[in-house]
Amino acid sequence: MNGLSESHLIKLVIEWVKENNPKRRTEAIEINQNTDLFKSGVIDSFGLVDLIVYIESEIGCVVELADTDPEEFSVVRGLCRIALKGDHSG
Amino acid sequence: MSEKSVTRSIFCGFADSVARFGEHPALAVNGERLSYRQLSHKVVALASVIDSVEDSYPLVGLLAHRSVNAYAGVLGILGAGKGYVPLNPKFPPERTRSMLLLSGCRTLVVGSECVSQLVKLLPRLEQSLTVILPDVSDLASISSEFSNHRFVFAGDISQAPPHSFRTDIEGDAIAYLMFTSGSTGVPKGVPIYHRNVRSYVQYVCDHYQVTERDRFSQEFDLTFDLSVHDMFVCWERGACLFCVPEQSAMAPAKFIRDHEITMWFSVPSVIGLLSRLRLLAPKSFPSLRYSLFCGEPLPAASAERWLQAASNSLLENLYGPTETTIAISHYRWDEKRSPEECVNGIVPIGWPFEGQIACIVGENGVELPPGRTGELCLHGSQVTTGYWNDGDKTREQFIHLIEKGEALWYRTGDLVRKDESGCICYLGRTDHQCKIRGYRVELQEIEAVLRKVCNTDQAISIPWPAREGSADGTVAIIAGKQTLDEKIILSFCSELLPPYMVPSEIYFVEHLPLNANGKIDRPGLLKLIGG
Repeated sequence: MNGLSESHLIKLVIEWVKENNPKRRTEAIEINQNTDLFKSGVIDSFGLVDLIVYIESEIGCVVELADTDPEEFSVVRGLCRIALKGDHSG
Repeated sequence: MSEKSVTRSIFCGFADSVARFGEHPALAVNGERLSYRQLSHKVVALASVIDSVEDSYPLVGLLAHRSVNAYAGVLGILGAGKGYVPLNPKFPPERTRSMLLLSGCRTLVVGSECVSQLVKLLPRLEQSLTVILPDVSDLASISSEFSNHRFVFAGDISQAPPHSFRTDIEGDAIAYLMFTSGSTGVPKGVPIYHRNVRSYVQYVCDHYQVTERDRFSQEFDLTFDLSVHDMFVCWERGACLFCVPEQSAMAPAKFIRDHEITMWFSVPSVIGLLSRLRLLAPKSFPSLRYSLFCGEPLPAASAERWLQAASNSLLENLYGPTETTIAISHYRWDEKRSPEECVNGIVPIGWPFEGQIACIVGENGVELPPGRTGELCLHGSQVTTGYWNDGDKTREQFIHLIEKGEALWYRTGDLVRKDESGCICYLGRTDHQCKIRGYRVELQEIEAVLRKVCNTDQAISIPWPAREGSADGTVAIIAGKQTLDEKIILSFCSELLPPYMVPSEIYFVEHLPLNANGKIDRPGLLKLIGG
């Protein structure tokens, strides 16, 4: 575990989505911790995989989605909480 | 079939199940669960209103998405004896306008979840519509702003007179009109008739021994014809349809478990996604009885990975262009035999359904023997007769084959080979059509849009990143126009193309590389973008 706080991870995720979302070239997208990544269309299923890989590289452990509610992990803050909840390495 | 002949509507299966399984759950969507009787009440009301509109046109548009009214809309339109034209709120308004215009619909059913898209669509329409909003109370702002259209709101529907369903219809009646990507830059309409769908549903229900105890996933948007399988195979036998919410569609593992789904149907890409998210742990999906995949090539490794998670299920790879009604051939995975039968690591598309016929032809149009590679042509009760108002395209794709009499065959454009047992393997395309996440895409349609905005002939789109016969998206290459603004080009594309067809990136080059024959060197372009 590299000791990332929830607020720091939220900031990193928002930056990642701003840089990698498919609408970035055509629209000014407002993303905050309450943004639903799927409903807003800033991420698709392939983007989700890439985002999870990024989060895992940042927190240094696996993000476990098996029993999580999609309504939680589709929102920036919920996803970050799930990621840090599974961080048992520390 | 003569015009006076009568056939059973695909609505019949639902109507029979209402009579047999009235209190049995028919639909679960957005946390709401409706019995056959409850869903039927909504369908009756909507069908009655559609009838009262007195529009003699045989098709009605439907702009609704993963809601009770999306499904009641499909059934209500069919119950009124019309065919439905599904529209998609995720598509740009300009594309929806184009589909609506091409279909000729004068009546449109809209769910409340799509009102914002309706408001963007209406100013673009020249024709006057009757817009039915089954779950919207009087919206005075819409009525007054778009006074050239007639609006029917929820209150009007509740006062509609009782309606008796039309279960017997004319033999040549259309069940749905589905639009696919068109190489000329305009969506291509494929009319599918009740007799086509009845043939499919009857075969598939028996083949999978569907019962009222089954629980079907409904993952596909209504604009994807595989959704017709979910709805009508399910309702034919009194089973329950579980609409996968937009968010769960990204990672449906929990959804399958929570709802104890027995019949799963999706594109193979879902397997790759779940695998990468580590959501395919052994025996994760014990409830599944059948796992069906269709829409793009199924890699053998994906089939094996899925079966570890769904170990109680039988896995089948289905194949079928929209023109042949949902799917027309199937291959059942066998852990001992199948790995050897795969070609290039791709699961075979198997054998045609009973009563449907496949013929593999060479470039001269003559049937080829087993072992030879050629174009797959299809004939049978599931195959439609042509494109919507497009005689030229129809004559191009629906043909007579040498030594095959008067029968009309659909040329799929798919390159295949069959073995001595008749098992067919997919090998590629004869043209520039490709599959993006299961969606059928004519690259020329993207290129037509690019040529228009860039004012050049030198525009190419390439599936990228590509993997095992399918692709995640596309990129575009524009030659000789280095000063153009990528943002403007992509904005233009977003206004005309569905999201999955909009290139993720534009590469500007001085010249397009040519091969020895003087044709554009597509493999060379792949190297250019780092492939």
